[in-house]
This record gives sequence, structure tokens and C-alpha cells, in this order.
Amino acid sequence: MREVVPVPVPGLDLRQHYGHHQSIAIRAGGLIFCSGMVAINPHTGEREHGTVTSEARRIFENLKLLLESAGSSLDRLVQVHAMIYDRIEYDVLNRLYRQYVPNAPPARTVMSVQIEAGFKVMLDVIAAA
Amino acid sequence: MSDRLERSVIAPANPKLNVSRNANLPHSPGIRAGDYIFLSGMGPVDPVTGGRDLGPVAEQIRQTLRNMAHMLESAGSGLDRVVKVMIVLADSADYDEMNQVWREFFPVDPPARTCCALQLSNGNGVEIECIALAGKAA
Amino acid sequence: MALEREIIASNHPVLPVSLAVRGGDFVFLSGMTAVDPVAGSVAHGTVAAETRHILTEMARLLEAAGSSLARVVKVNVLIYSMLEYDNMNTVYREFFTVDPPARTVCGAKLIGGHKIEIDCIALR
Repeated sequence: MREVVPVPVPGLDLRQHYGHHQSIAIRAGGLIFCSGMVAINPHTGEREHGTVTSEARRIFENLKLLLESAGSSLDRLVQVHAMIYDRIEYDVLNRLYRQYVPNAPPARTVMSVQIEAGFKVMLDVIAAA
Repeated sequence: MSDRLERSVIAPANPKLNVSRNANLPHSPGIRAGDYIFLSGMGPVDPVTGGRDLGPVAEQIRQTLRNMAHMLESAGSGLDRVVKVMIVLADSADYDEMNQVWREFFPVDPPARTCCALQLSNGNGVEIECIALAGKAA
Repeated sequence: MALEREIIASNHPVLPVSLAVRGGDFVFLSGMTAVDPVAGSVAHGTVAAETRHILTEMARLLEAAGSSLARVVKVNVLIYSMLEYDNMNTVYREFFTVDPPARTVCGAKLIGGHKIEIDCIALR
């Protein structure tokens, strides 16, 4: 069964705010597939460009909100594609990242790619429901 | 409502291949969720020394896929249970060579695959992740 | 009993990969570019045209596998430049009408000079 996970707070509705034609997450087969998450203020929907650290922190807080609203949590993440604008900031990302998944962290691949709106970080994740 | 999938960490039987632990990185070598296995991106780590084997890219890819096979077998699975692979090359010029090595490891009924060329760390020429099914084919 | 793995569509026109593999509840598709599915020739064009070509082919592939675009749960889009995001998005929304899948879009240099590559995971 395929279910759209509702947007937990209005600011995270990227479809409405930015015309991104995607659901925030889909639950199916015991897994939750999330759209790439960026540093958006969950209440206002404003983009919060910053450092790798500040953006990653906002992203994890947004994912926490999203996953918990869907009955899951950060510690049920199974796979992460950690997208970064430049691999040179890999260590900076790691420092923040490990704070949010300190135990039994998910599988991860770091990808240096161009991210929307000039953001420095995006996390593309799958969690167990 | 169906039962929640059980989530557990996958580690390689050969500790030299546990880059997550050895390099103190915030990922697990792999995660099993229900009967699905998600592996972290892997590079050409030498299974004897634990160091990087940075020779010709074809050999890097072979080493990485051998390591992937070991990781899956450590979890009771195997390369023939892989459903989806993502390959990242440091240099798109290595694409044809990658395809040749790929055929050696997936000669029949290969998985689905996406491949792109991105910056990699440590001089690695390749990084490979996959999704696989747990257990062995019936 | 272990989940079943099944090749739904083999014979990628040029690559040694399976076009679609079923594993348990899901169907995993290889990254698709604007390639003629029979001849294997490359169909370079605008981002809009390549997106349309890919998603038309993706729909056909999923339907042949007993699934459909409506059953796609996650899409990954690699685009050669994020400046062309809107050109992709405009065509994309024609194919995923109601309750679109989760999606991640990022800019990356693509192999073979393609402008866009799309893969997905769908429910069988």
C-alpha cells in the first residue's frame, strides 16, 4: 500500500511554497521514502541558507519532525544520500551529522552535487516506518 | 497495520573492511530493515591491510565489488540478491572500463543501476552502494 | 522465506544492467536517459524533451511490470544544471498528476552528454 505522508508543518510544504512537484514523503512496504530535505524554516517556509553546519542542523530537525509525525524517528533511518555542494566540507558535515545519529547510524553515501537554490547540503533519506 | 520492519546493523565478517568503525565515520557499513539491505557507499579498501588500494580504476572497481560481496555474505545475502546499485565514478572517462568489470561480477540477471561522476575523497576512483534482499534465493 | 528477486525487464539497449528488478514489494528501475529503447541510439534534446522521453518510457516499463507511474514511491533526478529545474518540473507534473512520489533532484555531470537521468522505486 502506498500512502502519502502528510506535511507535518506548513513551512515544509515545498510543493505549495516552491512548486516542487513531489510529496514530502511516501510510506510503502514498511519504509518511508522522503524527498530531498533542505534548510527550510518549518513554520515560515523560508529558505535558510547558512553554513554546512547550520543547514545540516535545520535539515535534521525537519527530518525529525517529519519522521516522528509519521510514527518513525531518526534512529530508524536506513539509508542516507548526503548531498553536499563541495566535498571539501565533508568533515564539517560529519561533525554535525554524528550528533543526530549517534548510535547505529544509517547506511550513507556522500554525493557532491549541485543542490537547489544554492544550498550547501541536502539529505535524501529512507527510513523504516 | 503491518508489523514494523526490524532494523539492525550489518557489519563485515572481516573487520578490516569496517570503514565506518576504522575511520570513525557516522554511518554503519549496512542496515537491514525487514528483508531489505542498504549498504553504505564502499570504496577500494584492501581486505588485508584495511588501507586504500588506489591503482588502476578497473582494479579499484573489482576490489570494491569483492568487498561488497563480502559485506552481503556477512549478512547472509550475496551479490545475486542485489536489486539496485549506485556507482559513483571520479572520472566519467572510466565508464566503459567500469562496464567491463561490472559484467565480470554481474554476468547474468544484473541489478538495476544508476551511475554518475562526482568528486570523491581520498583519491578514490569509485564508490559503490547498493540495495539488496536478505537471505538467499529459494 | 527469503524475498523473491525477479528481473522484470532485462535487455537494456546498450548497458549490461537490468531495466527493472523486483525485490519483495518494490520494483527498482535503472537510471534512464533519453535513449531509443529499441535502437539504443541517443535521443539528445532539450531538458523538456528528454524528460518527456524518459517518463514516457518509464511509464511503459512500469506497466509492463504490472506497476505504474501512480505506484512510484521515490524518484531521483540527476540534471546537468539546476538552472533547468523548471523545464524538467513542468513536464514532470504531466506524468505524476495526483499524490506525486517523493523526489530528490540534484545537479551533476552526466555520463554520455545527457541532460537528465531519472531513476525510481515503485511498488509492484
